[in-house]
Amino acid sequence: MSARLLLRSLTLSLLLCFAAVPSLVFAAATVQIPKYERIALANGAVLLLMERHDVPLIAFSADLRGGAMTDPVTASGSASLLANLLEKGAGSRDAFAFADAIAAVGGTIAASADTESINVSGSFLNKDRALMIELLADMLQRPRLAREEFDSLRSRQIDFLRAAKDSDLGSLTPIYGAAAVFGEHVYGKSPIGSEAGLAAITHEQLTRYYRDQLGADRLILTIVGDFKTADLKPLVTKAFAGWRKAEQPFSRPAPPTKVTGRRVLLVDAPTSVQSYFWAGNVGVSRAFPQRAPLDVVNTLFGGRFTSLLNSELRIRTGLSYGASSRFDRMLEPGAWELVSFTKTASTIEAIDLALDVVGRLHADIIDATMLDSSKAYVQGQFPLALETSAQWASALGDLEFYGLDRGYIDQRLNALAAVTLEDARKIVQSQFPTADNLTLVVIGNAAAIREGLRKFGPVTEMKLSDPSFAPQGK
Amino acid sequence: MTRRFSVLLAACVASGVLIGSSALAASASEVTSATLANGMQVIVWPDRDIPNIALYNWVRVGSRNEAPGITGLAHFFEHMMFNGTSTRQPGEFDSVLEANGARNNASTSDDVTIYQDWLPKAALETVFALEADRLRNLAFEPKVVESERGVVYSERRNSVDDNPSSRLQEQVQAAAFTAHPYGIPTIGWPADIESWKIDDLKEFFQRNYAPNNCTLVLVGDLEPQATIALARKYFEAIPAREGPKPIVTKEPVQAGERRVTLLTDAQTPVVQFAYHGMASADPRAPTLELLMRILADGDASRLHRALVEEQKLAISADGYVQAGFDPGLVWFYLSLPADGDVAAAEKSFDAQIETVRRDGVTKAELARARNQALADFWRGQATIDGKADALGRYAVMKGDYRKLFDAPQAYERVTLDEIKKLAGELLQSAFRTVGVLPVVATAEAKQ
Repeated sequence: MSARLLLRSLTLSLLLCFAAVPSLVFAAATVQIPKYERIALANGAVLLLMERHDVPLIAFSADLRGGAMTDPVTASGSASLLANLLEKGAGSRDAFAFADAIAAVGGTIAASADTESINVSGSFLNKDRALMIELLADMLQRPRLAREEFDSLRSRQIDFLRAAKDSDLGSLTPIYGAAAVFGEHVYGKSPIGSEAGLAAITHEQLTRYYRDQLGADRLILTIVGDFKTADLKPLVTKAFAGWRKAEQPFSRPAPPTKVTGRRVLLVDAPTSVQSYFWAGNVGVSRAFPQRAPLDVVNTLFGGRFTSLLNSELRIRTGLSYGASSRFDRMLEPGAWELVSFTKTASTIEAIDLALDVVGRLHADIIDATMLDSSKAYVQGQFPLALETSAQWASALGDLEFYGLDRGYIDQRLNALAAVTLEDARKIVQSQFPTADNLTLVVIGNAAAIREGLRKFGPVTEMKLSDPSFAPQGK
Repeated sequence: MTRRFSVLLAACVASGVLIGSSALAASASEVTSATLANGMQVIVWPDRDIPNIALYNWVRVGSRNEAPGITGLAHFFEHMMFNGTSTRQPGEFDSVLEANGARNNASTSDDVTIYQDWLPKAALETVFALEADRLRNLAFEPKVVESERGVVYSERRNSVDDNPSSRLQEQVQAAAFTAHPYGIPTIGWPADIESWKIDDLKEFFQRNYAPNNCTLVLVGDLEPQATIALARKYFEAIPAREGPKPIVTKEPVQAGERRVTLLTDAQTPVVQFAYHGMASADPRAPTLELLMRILADGDASRLHRALVEEQKLAISADGYVQAGFDPGLVWFYLSLPADGDVAAAEKSFDAQIETVRRDGVTKAELARARNQALADFWRGQATIDGKADALGRYAVMKGDYRKLFDAPQAYERVTLDEIKKLAGELLQSAFRTVGVLPVVATAEAKQ
């Protein structure tokens, strides 16, 4: 599922980053999906169970199809607010008792919404597995959705957005960017909602939304860790076999359309000392078959420290602390995006340089040394992304969610090893937008950069304090 | 401060270490350590779940070793360690490393600078060659220094200048220490970032980047004796040097609350409290960790429940213990709603602190804190990275990596009385600095 934003407190800082593209130089056979069991319940729920016994923990990940893309147009943030409300009491426990039950055993459960799903994940010590299943089942099937909790959570979430606008501007450019590129398409919706959208949600709407959008037929529950499948399977099956289906059918999003030409969205942050910029267009879906050359090329372009982009904006010029690019791959093509930031005075220079690097990518810059280095990097880091039970839970859940076969993981290293220069060239031409087909988003001091930005294309302007992520009227 | 892609705002309860003794007994015996002839310590812990290795080089130098005029130098140095040697061009360290399938990062704190590599096991010798080369042959190219100065200033703008709560934290920390260098922000004051000279860098390197001031930790798919032999081959010939000057300054006991206000343009108010705490190696550290979990770790903690859930005075309440070679600060952070009442939030916070000082905590709370620490310990043990971090932290900050394996007993020994006594001693208003970021009109903030 796509980039997940955490705005739970001002102290959960961070972090721009390179989509850590995983990988390895030796024996391709070293990363294979361990044995696991897939159980399809009659109500549509899918359970995936994988034993791993290195530490006495059990990790789980419950993915429910839907997410922000099912938010009503006037109620942006419904999925996000519902996810948070699920944590506020369920079954026989009110909000405090529910939190106490988790904390008392040192467990964690966190729910959040993304563009295409609501995810509930966490981990427990193995001895507490029965409690973990009970809490998770209650949370999904018997949440209290109490009005008073709804009221305070909704206010708090609006204030988290305001706090992010005070302190975490870099994390917001992808939200403005998705809204600008995808427009009315469901992928343009903010996964965390907006101040205006959240304020418009009523308790009645949200409880309706819960019944419409959550149900067994939307659920993929992956549990990985220190348990015996024979013990856990009946427990989980019993806990979820009785859940109803969602009252609305899930409809897959339509494929979005690439944007042609270049335009600029300027978000005015008058007191900011830096400009935070984002450039993107529609990329590829999760099932895109040429993933290996795509990842190798994106890694050398903007997915590691010595990438072309970071070399130009950080290493050569010292204009920025960092610059990176990534593909957000969903059921349908999500965004390809590049992000960076620089002091206000060098905004135009830095954007020029970033676009110049995009131009160089299309001017056949990739040579064998660059390609081999990128392949080795993606291969070498791959095992580190599949080390823990939580990582395996997420990876297995993804395979099921996106309908991918196990070759997606098992054949990953072989596919990377087979990438040729010709593959790389083809993927650049077919899948990486050219510099004149990018939508730009810049958060910064508009008075200082407005005029300079005009050369990049028509400029639309809004204020950082506006209560939504798209200019008014859109 | 980190070199690469993220800036850690040190603001969550330090994750705890608590261990089931049976499992740990096995683990302790798996660790091998050696001290090279030049004084460099090497610690190796095999873990063969994946064919990779996590390497951490802990250098005992941080902003604690700085002075006015050169603040931020330890962190700047962390950047310069990637920018070329007498045998390798600037950028070669990264390009060779990545071409061999490895990734790296680095971070600087008040006390230490940590260099990290995550590599496929086949790349170990290449990585050792690179790491030894930069310890021995670092170069100082004027052009590179200027470019990196720009990068560091960008990092400062991103992590501090464009982040009101970080700016407040910087001011609170500076106010809390009148004598000890813990008052220096690790990223450095702006004027100093603009002013370091190449000679400052050379002197800093010569003094602090001594092999005898480094602890090398390796966890992953490796053979301990072969790894130590390889470390000898690459690192042992680097001559020992003097090492950092001892820090003799002790912060005088604070005798009255200090207050800091930051006027800036922000939509949401912030209140921070920083009490003088203890050093990392203090035997009361496990007691403090459990106390902090009870007060500020998660939705069931006292401060979250009272201020966020019940009274709705704050939208988040967090805590963090800064404990280094010397006594650091015990932090609490409140983020308020846009129309929040700073005075009311502060009053409610004070009431919670007074309650814990007067009555202590409950048996159930202590049990919960222990369980949270135990589960977090295992979460940390799930990765080679987590193990390298924990091992290094105990070796460097607490003086002996084996203490990691004694942690369960230490936590088990913590009593209700000890927690109450510690809360009574530490959490006195006379020993704290309070920082407030009120929401003010833009015009006033700009004046």
